[in-house]
Amino acid sequence: MEQNILLVNDLRVHFFTRRGTYKALNGVELIIKKGEIFGLAGESGCGKTTLGLSIMGLLPRNAAIITGKVLLDNFDLIAPLRDFAQKNINNFNFRRSENIIKKLNDKLVNIRGKKISMVFQDSMTSLNPVLQIGYQIAESFIVHQPNQLLKRKLARVNAKQNQLEEILDMLKNGASEDEVVAFAESNGLSGIEEQVINVWRRNDMSEANKEKIIMSLHSEKLGFFEKIFVFSNKNKAQSLARVPGFSRMYKNTLIKEGYRKAVELLSMLEIPNPDRVVKMYPHELSGGMRQRIMIAIALANNPELVIMDEPTSALDVTVQAQILELIKSLKGRFNTSFIIISHDLSVLAEVCDRIGIMYGGRIVEISSKEDVFKKPLHPYTQMLISAIPTIESQDLRGIGGSVPDMRNPPNGCMFHPRCPYVMDICKTKEPKMLEKDGHLVSCFLYGEDS
Amino acid sequence: MKINMKNQRRIENLKLSLDVFLSNKAAVAGLIIVMLYVIDAIIVQVAPSILGIMHPDELIPNFISPAPLPPSWAHPLGTTYPGIDLLKSILKAIRIDLFYSAFVVIIGAAIGSVIGVISATIGGLMDEIVMRITDIFFSVPYLILALAVGFVMGRNLTNMSLALVIVWWPIYARYTRSQTLSTKESTFVEAAKASGVGRLKIIFKHILPNALPPVFIQVSLDLGSVMVIFSTLAFIGFIVTASVPELGYLTSLGLNYVQSAPWAVIFPGLIITIFALAVNLLGDGLRDVIDPRRRS
Amino acid sequence: MIIAGRNISKYFPIKSGSLFGKPLMLKAVNEVNIEVNEGEIVGVVGESGSGKTTLGRLLVGLLTPTSGHIFFDIPDDKLKEYDEYLVNGEKEKYQKIEREYSILNKSGNKLKSIRKSMNIVFQDPYSSLDPRYNVIDIIMEPLIASGQLSSDKRYARAMELLDEVGLPRDFAYRYPHELSGGQRQRVAIARGIATFPKFLVLDEPTSALDVSVQAQILSLLLRIREKYNIGMLLITHNIAVISYMADRVNVMYAGKIVESGPKVDIILQPDHPYTKALISAVPGKSVKANRIILKGDTPNLINPPLGCSFHPRCPVAFGICGWTIKEVYEDLKYLIENKYSEILDNKASVNINNENIVIFNANLDKVKKIIEEEMNNIRSLFAIDIVEEKEGHIQITIKKYRVPKMVHHKNKMISCLLFDLNDN
Repeated sequence: MEQNILLVNDLRVHFFTRRGTYKALNGVELIIKKGEIFGLAGESGCGKTTLGLSIMGLLPRNAAIITGKVLLDNFDLIAPLRDFAQKNINNFNFRRSENIIKKLNDKLVNIRGKKISMVFQDSMTSLNPVLQIGYQIAESFIVHQPNQLLKRKLARVNAKQNQLEEILDMLKNGASEDEVVAFAESNGLSGIEEQVINVWRRNDMSEANKEKIIMSLHSEKLGFFEKIFVFSNKNKAQSLARVPGFSRMYKNTLIKEGYRKAVELLSMLEIPNPDRVVKMYPHELSGGMRQRIMIAIALANNPELVIMDEPTSALDVTVQAQILELIKSLKGRFNTSFIIISHDLSVLAEVCDRIGIMYGGRIVEISSKEDVFKKPLHPYTQMLISAIPTIESQDLRGIGGSVPDMRNPPNGCMFHPRCPYVMDICKTKEPKMLEKDGHLVSCFLYGEDS
Repeated sequence: MKINMKNQRRIENLKLSLDVFLSNKAAVAGLIIVMLYVIDAIIVQVAPSILGIMHPDELIPNFISPAPLPPSWAHPLGTTYPGIDLLKSILKAIRIDLFYSAFVVIIGAAIGSVIGVISATIGGLMDEIVMRITDIFFSVPYLILALAVGFVMGRNLTNMSLALVIVWWPIYARYTRSQTLSTKESTFVEAAKASGVGRLKIIFKHILPNALPPVFIQVSLDLGSVMVIFSTLAFIGFIVTASVPELGYLTSLGLNYVQSAPWAVIFPGLIITIFALAVNLLGDGLRDVIDPRRRS
Repeated sequence: MIIAGRNISKYFPIKSGSLFGKPLMLKAVNEVNIEVNEGEIVGVVGESGSGKTTLGRLLVGLLTPTSGHIFFDIPDDKLKEYDEYLVNGEKEKYQKIEREYSILNKSGNKLKSIRKSMNIVFQDPYSSLDPRYNVIDIIMEPLIASGQLSSDKRYARAMELLDEVGLPRDFAYRYPHELSGGQRQRVAIARGIATFPKFLVLDEPTSALDVSVQAQILSLLLRIREKYNIGMLLITHNIAVISYMADRVNVMYAGKIVESGPKVDIILQPDHPYTKALISAVPGKSVKANRIILKGDTPNLINPPLGCSFHPRCPVAFGICGWTIKEVYEDLKYLIENKYSEILDNKASVNINNENIVIFNANLDKVKKIIEEEMNNIRSLFAIDIVEEKEGHIQITIKKYRVPKMVHHKNKMISCLLFDLNDN
C-alpha cells in the first residue's frame, strides 16, 4: 500500500522587501509517497527553491507564510510561522518574525537531519572547510542518534568470538539481514548487526579481509570514562554529558564511534577508500566526491525525506552521470523519498518517478517521467520541452513574453499572458489541479473543476 | 531625443540615490552634523566677524580672570584656563581641525590610490617592491612614526600633518591595489580588451571608476579617525600649537580643572567625538548609495 | 579560414611547493590544431579542465600561446602549404607564412584591425558588463576603440544593434542591474558584433540562462550567423546545445582535442571512448541501457597521465595506452596482497625495481590466472608484457607506451591508439 509521507496543501508564501512584496508561492499542492523520487522542475523565479526551503522550515525573517500546511507524517512543520504571519499580516515585524523562527528551529531540531534533510547545490560552501569529513558526518550521528553509537560500542564490548563466528556463518549461508538483526538482539548484542552487515556488503575488499575485520569486533576494551558512558543507561549518560569535564570526554567517545560509522556509511555509497576519506578535508576532494559526501550526510540517519536542490548543476556531465546513478541505486536500498529540484528536465527524467513543473509559484503539472516528454499537457510544459535543443531541432523557439513580476502577478492563471491557448476564464479564475490520463494538470483546457 | 532620454535616466537615478540615502535616518543625521561643521569652518574662514570672532587663528586668553567659569550668558559654554571663551574657541578650532584632517586624508588618499592602482596594473617586480614598502610602513605603529618625523622636522601643526600623511598613504595603496587586482580580472575588463580598448583607457574607464568609490567612502570615515589622532597628539602636548585653536589642545587646557570645571574638558572633547560619529554614519550611508548593486 | 590554430599550447606556471624548485607548469592547452571557416559554427565541447575556455581566449587574442601559431584570415591554400612546409621542415617558407598571417607579434594598426574583426561573448552576463555604464555605452565601446565611425554614426549603429538583438530602444540608457540575465546576454552579443567582426568566440553563452531564454538566444545567434556570415567558435559543456547549433564539433579532454569532425558524425556515431562516454552521459529522455559511467575524476593538468591522458579512466584502455610501471605495480599489489591473498596462501609479496615488477612466494599459474580474470576490470593489467619465472621469483615486464596522434578515421579526426595502429 502506498503511504503518503509529505503533504503540502495550498501553500502561499510572500517575501517582504524594500522593493515590494514578492509573492513567491501561490497555492502549491503536493503529495509525496513513501519511497518515491519526485522531481521539481522550473525556471528561475518559479519558486522551486522557496518550496524546498518552506518544507524544511528554513525561511528568512522577511518571509510570511500566508496560508497553507506542510504535513510530514501528519506533523505540521510550519504551523508557528503560519500562525504568526496570519496574525500579523498588516504589521509584519522582522524582529518578531526572527524570534518565531528561532523557536521553530529549536522545535525542529529533532526532525531536521533525522526525518527530513536537505542537500544543497554548492557542496564546497555546505561543508565546513576546517573540519574533517568524518567529523562532519559524525556530528550528524551525535545529534540524532547518540545512543545508537553507544549501543554499538557496547555490543563490541560484549561480543564474543564464537558469536561473531556464528554470524559470519549465517551470512556465508545466505542469511537475510533481518535474521542477523534477530540473532543480535536475542544475544544481547544489538548494535553489532549494522557493523557486521555494513562490512559484509563492501565490494572493495576480499572476503578474507572482510572476515578479518568482522572477527575483530569482539571484546573491546574500554577506558575508565568510556565505561561510565557506555554502561550507564540513556538518561544517566546524557546528564553526565552535561557535566563540564565529562562532556568533552563524552563527545570524544561519540566522535570516535561516529568516525567508524561514517566509514561504513561512505562505503555503502560506494565511495572508494572510505578510511582515508574520513580523515580528509573538503578542499582535498573533487566536486563529485563532495556532493557524494553531502548525500551521505543527508542519508546518515535514515530520513524519510531528502530534498536535493540542484544536486548536479555544479558538476560536469560525466560526474553528474555518476551522481545520478548513485541516486537511482539509493532507491532500493534506503526506502527514503526524494524531492529533487532542478531546472534541467532531462536530469529529472533520468532518476525521478514523477515530475512536477512549477511556474509562478504554483505546480502546474505532475506527470510520470515518461509522460512528461511524450504527453505534456500544460501549455507551459509543452513550450518548455520544445525549447530544449536537440540535434533534430529545426527552429528553436523560446516562450514569448517574460517571467511575471511576482510583486504583481497576473490574475487567474499565472501563465495566461504568455499562453497561446488563453481563454477568458484563464484571466480571472485560478485553475485547480485536475486528473487526466493519470496526470495531474492545472489548466482550464482540460476542464474546470475536479 | 537622445539627450532627453539620457537626462531623464540620470534624473531617475539621482532620485533613486537620494531615496536610498534619505531612507537611512542615521546617515542623514550624520550628514547634517558634518554640514554644520563645514559651514562653521567656512564662516570662520570667510567672515569670522559674523560670529563675533576677531582673531580666528588665535586663542584669546584673559589673564584677569583666568579660572574656568561655568556656562553663562556671557560665555554660553563657559571658559577654560586661562580665561578662554569655549564657544568662540571651539568654533575657531573646528575650522583648524577640519582643515588639517582633510589635508591629511585627502592628500594621503590621493597619493596612496595612485600608487596602488599603478602598482597593481603594472604588477611584477614593481608591485612586489611597493608592497614591501607598505609592509614596512605598516609594521611601524603610526604614532611612533609620527613622533619620529616630528622630532626631525619640528612638532608644529603643519609638519605633523605631513608626518601623518606619510603614515596614512599605505593603507590607501593597499586598498586600491586589491580593488584594482580584482577588477583587472573581471570579465568586463577582458571584454574591453577583446574589443580593442587600449590599456591606459581601460584603467581610466573601467578600473578607476570601480576602484575609487570605496575610496571615497573610506575617506569620509578616515576624516573622523584622523581628527581624533590629531586631537590626541595635541592633547598630550606632542603637537606644539602654542595658542592656535585646536580641539585637543583645548581639551588639555581644562585637564587640571576637570573636577572643579568639568565643562572645560567635556565640551571640546564632545565636539571631537560627535564629529567622528557623524562622519561614520555619513560614510555608511554613502556606501549604500554608491554601490550600484546594493541599491537593488 | 577565418581562424586557424596550429600546435597551440598554453602552459601556466604554478608556484612549486619548495623554495627553489622549478615552477610547475599547468598544461591547460597542449598542441591543439583547430580551424573555423567563414559563416561556420565550430563547437568545442568538454568538461571542466578540458582547456576549452583557455582555447577560446587564445584564439581571440586575450592570452598569448606558450607555443604555436594562430592565423587570421588565411586563404585555404596557404594553410595547406604551411602544413606541408612544417612537415618537411622548410623553415624559411613556413616562417614567412607565420609572419604574414599570425596574430602574434602584431602591433599598432595591424593589431587594431585584427581586434576589430574578432570579439568574444562571455558566459556570465552578470559580470561581463561594467555595472557603471549604461547599455548604449557598453555597446559603443568596441566602436569607439576601433575609431571607425563618427560619434553620430556610432550612436546610430548602436541603436541598430539594439534592434538586431531584439531589445527595445528605450533600454539604451538602462544599467546592467536593471536587466534580466537574458537581456544582459543580448547586450553582450550586441557588443560582440558591433564592429562587424568576422570571428566571434562564444564562451558558454547560455549556461547561466533558463531553458526558454536559452532558446531565444540560440535562435538569435543563428540569425546573426546567417545575416553576417560570422565564423563562430561555440564553447560549451552542454551537448544538447552543441548538437543544435554546431556544424562541426571538437571534443576536448585534458587540453587536447580527442575527436573532431562534422556534428552528426561526432554526436550520433562517436568513436573515441571519451566522446562515447560524454555523449552517453547526457541525461536522456529515455533510459539508456548502454550508458558508460566513467570512474575517477578529471585529470591533473600539472602532471597529466602519460601516453594518452584519458587512459586511467578509459573503459577500453589497453597495453600501450600509457600505463606506467608504478600504476601496474599498485594494482598488482592490491590484487595479490589483498583481494586474492588467501588464494596465494597469504605469502606473496609484490615489489618493484626500476624496470620490472617482482613477485616473491607466489605460484606462477595462479598469478597468471588472477591477471587474466581481473584484466577487464583493472585495465592497467593490459600493459603487462611478459610474466615469467626467474631465479625463484616471478618477473613481470611492461609494454612501452605511445602518445596517440590525430589520425583520419571515417570523415573525422581522432586521437586514440585504437585507431592509430601504425607504429609511427
